[in-house]
Amino acid sequence: MKAKTVKPRVMTGNGAAAYAAMLCRPEVVASYPITPQTEVVEQLSAFKADGVLDAEMVEVEGENSAMNIVCAASIAGARVFTATSSYGLVYMYDTLLQTAGFRAPVVMVNVNRETPGIQAVSAGQQDMISTRDSGWIQIIVENDQEIIDQIIMAYRIAEDFNIQLPIMVNYDGYYLSYLAEAVQIPDQTDVDAFLAPLKKQPQRPRLVPGEARGCGTHGMEMGYVEARYKHCMALDRVKNHVDKIDKEFGEYFGRSYGGQIEEYKCADADIVIVASGSAAGTARTVIDSKRAEGLKVGLVKLRLFRPFPEERLAQALKGKKAIGVIDRSVSFGWKTGPMCTEIKSLCSKIGPVPILSYIDGLANLDINIPHIGRVIDEVAVAAKGKPYQEVTWIPMEEER
Amino acid sequence: MVEKATKKKNRVFDYFCTEEKFSGGVAWCAGCPLELTARFIPKVLGDKMVFVGTPSCSAPVLHGQNLGSWHKLPYLACVMTGVGSSATGLTRYYQKAGIDATVVCFNGDGCSSDIGFQVLSGAAERNEKIIYITYDNEGYMNTGNQRSSSTQKGALTTTTPVGKIGKGKPTISKNLTMLMLMHRPRYMATATLSHLEDFAKKLQKAKEMVKEGFVYLHVFSPCPVGWRIDSNLSIEVCRTAVRTNYFPLWEAYDGKPRITVEVAAPKPITDFTKLMRKFSHLKENDIAAFQAEVDRRFALLKTLCDAAKAEEKTTVQS
Ligand SMILES: Cc1ncc(C[n+]2csc(CCOP(=O)(O)OP(=O)(O)O)c2C)c(N)n1
Ligand code: SF4
Repeated sequence: MKAKTVKPRVMTGNGAAAYAAMLCRPEVVASYPITPQTEVVEQLSAFKADGVLDAEMVEVEGENSAMNIVCAASIAGARVFTATSSYGLVYMYDTLLQTAGFRAPVVMVNVNRETPGIQAVSAGQQDMISTRDSGWIQIIVENDQEIIDQIIMAYRIAEDFNIQLPIMVNYDGYYLSYLAEAVQIPDQTDVDAFLAPLKKQPQRPRLVPGEARGCGTHGMEMGYVEARYKHCMALDRVKNHVDKIDKEFGEYFGRSYGGQIEEYKCADADIVIVASGSAAGTARTVIDSKRAEGLKVGLVKLRLFRPFPEERLAQALKGKKAIGVIDRSVSFGWKTGPMCTEIKSLCSKIGPVPILSYIDGLANLDINIPHIGRVIDEVAVAAKGKPYQEVTWIPMEEER
Repeated sequence: MVEKATKKKNRVFDYFCTEEKFSGGVAWCAGCPLELTARFIPKVLGDKMVFVGTPSCSAPVLHGQNLGSWHKLPYLACVMTGVGSSATGLTRYYQKAGIDATVVCFNGDGCSSDIGFQVLSGAAERNEKIIYITYDNEGYMNTGNQRSSSTQKGALTTTTPVGKIGKGKPTISKNLTMLMLMHRPRYMATATLSHLEDFAKKLQKAKEMVKEGFVYLHVFSPCPVGWRIDSNLSIEVCRTAVRTNYFPLWEAYDGKPRITVEVAAPKPITDFTKLMRKFSHLKENDIAAFQAEVDRRFALLKTLCDAAKAEEKTTVQS
C-alpha cells in the first residue's frame, strides 16, 4: 500500500459519491436533481461554492441536456462527471446511446431506482437494466466505501486510451444513497497519483476549433459498421481492464473488490448464490451462517454488468450443482430476472445445472436475511436433483 | 460616382475574403437559400468556429452523408434534443481550458421551436456563450415538408394537407423571435439573404457579443421545394418577406429591439403569397386574416422598439 492512511469519516452514499467525484478533478459537471440522487448535485454545488471544486458547473434544465453537455464537453477534451437516477436516466436515453456511440469517456453515477409507469419513488435496479443495451460500461457497487473507490477507478477505465467509453457507476437508492457509513476518503495527492497514468497515454481524439474534424458524422454503411465493431471490441477489452485496475487500486490503497465479480467462499462451494449491490452484504452474512450449519454455499457478487463478465462467471460457476440468482428488477418478456437470464446463457460453459431465478427487493422491499436463507435452502434442494420452481417472486409468495 | 460604387462593393466583398469552407456539389436542393446561408456564416465568423448541428436539411451536408462533398468546419452532429446543450458543453470547456473558439449552433425552425425549444431556452437563460442560429424554412423539410410550430396558419404541408375538410395548418405560428427576445439575450437579430450587408453586420456583432453571453440569430430561409417556389425566386421571396413586414429585420441588445431595415411603404402580403404555391388555396378572407396577423405582429415589434427607445432616453436623462 502506497496511499496515506486517512481518518475515517461518516458520510452518506451520495456524499461519498460527490466527494469522490471532486477528488477526480472533473472540468465540466452537469447534473439535474432527482430523488434519491439530489444530494450529489447539492454537494457538488457546495464544493464549487466553497472553491474546492474547480469545475464548470452547469445548472441544467433537464437530464437530457445534462448528458448532452457532458458528452460534448468530453468530446472537446474535458474530464466530466454527472449523476442521475430512474426517470432522469431514461429521459437521457437518446443521448446515452449518442455518448456511447461517440466513445465519450463520461463518468456517471446512477443511483438505482424503479422506473416510470408506476410512480415508484423507491429502490430497484430497473433503471440500470432498462439501459443495458446503450453501449455503456455498467458497474454495481455494494457500500459507501466502494462508491468512492469505484468512482476513482471509473476514470481509469473510461478514459483509458484503449477503452474510451462512458461508464455508469450504480448504487442502490435509499439503501446506500442515504446510508451514513464510516468511509476512508483518499488523500487528494493519492487520487492524483492514481489517475496520473492517464496523462502518459496518447491524447484521445477531440473536437478542436480550426481543425476540420467532425464528431457524429459519416455514419453511413461501412463507416457505421466499423464504428460498431470497434465499440464492441472496446467493451470486450473492458473486462480484463476492470480486473487490472481493481488490482492496481488494491496495491495502492489497500482495498480491492474482485474486479468484474467478487467470489465469496466459492472455491469449495457446491451451490452458489449470485447477487449484486447492497444485497450482497446481507448475502455474505447468510452464507456464513449456512456454512456454520454445514452447507457448502458461496456467493458471487456481480459487479460488472456491461460488458457481461462471461469468462469470470463461467470460471466461478463451473462445476457447481445448482445456482440461485437474485434480481432486483424484472425482464419484460422473460419469466426469469434479467441477470438470471444472462447467467443462463452460460449453460454451454457451466453445464446444465438448475439455475433458479428470484425476483426480490423491488420498490424498496428488503432483500433480507430470511429471503436469502430461503433462496439458499431451495437451491440446495434443487442441487440434489429434486424438482424446483424456476422463477420465484419472493414478495408475492410472502403475500399469499 | 465610380468611387461610391467601389466602396459599396468592397463592404460586402470583405466578408467573402476568407476561405470557402464548403466544397462544390453539396447535397442541398437547387435554389435553396440554406446553402448560401451556410456558406456565408463561416466567412464572417472566422476560423475558430465550431459548428453544432443536428438532423435537418443542413445535415446531409454538415453531417457529411455524402462522402464526395463536404466542408472543413469542426463539427458536432448531435441529437435534435441536444443542440443548445451540446454547445453548452463545448463552450464551457473551451472557456475553462482557455481555447479560443466561437461555438455556433445551426439548425432548422423545427428543432428550435419544437423538439429543441427547452434546450434553446435553457441555454439562453443560463446566458451561455453560444451563437445560436435558426434557419427558418417554416417546417420539417428534411423529413419532407411536415408542419412545425413555425409553419404559418393556412400553409399546405404533408401533415396539414388541403382537402375536402383540411384547409392547411389550422393554427398561427409560434412567434419564436419574440419568445427569444423575452429571454433578453445579450444580442439577437433577424436576417435574410436578400439583405446581405445587414446579415453580415449582424454576424459580426454576434461574434463580438458572444464573448459576453448568449446570442440568437433567426434567419429567414424559404424552402423552394416545400413551399413550391420556382428555384430562381428564392432570394426574391426573402426580399418580399422583408418588404411586406412579414419578416422584419431587427436586432436587440439586452432585449431592446431596434429595426435595422425600415420599410417605408410595406407591400401587401399577397405580394408574398403569390410567389409560392403553398398558400394558393387561401380564400380572400384567409388572406385578410393573414394580413391582419402580419400587421399585428409588426405592431407588437414596433411598440417594443418604441418602448426601448423611450427607455433609452429616460436613462440618458436621469
Ligand atoms: C428525435 C428525433 N425525432 C425525429 C427526427 C426526424 N427528423 C429529422 S430532420 C427532422 C425535421 C427537422 O426540421 P427542422 O429542424 O425545421 O429542419 P429542416 O429539416 O426544416 O431543415 C425530423 C423530424 C430526428 N432526427 N430525431
Ligand atoms: S428541402 Fe427545402 S429547405 Fe431542404 S434543402 Fe431542399 S429546398 Fe432547402
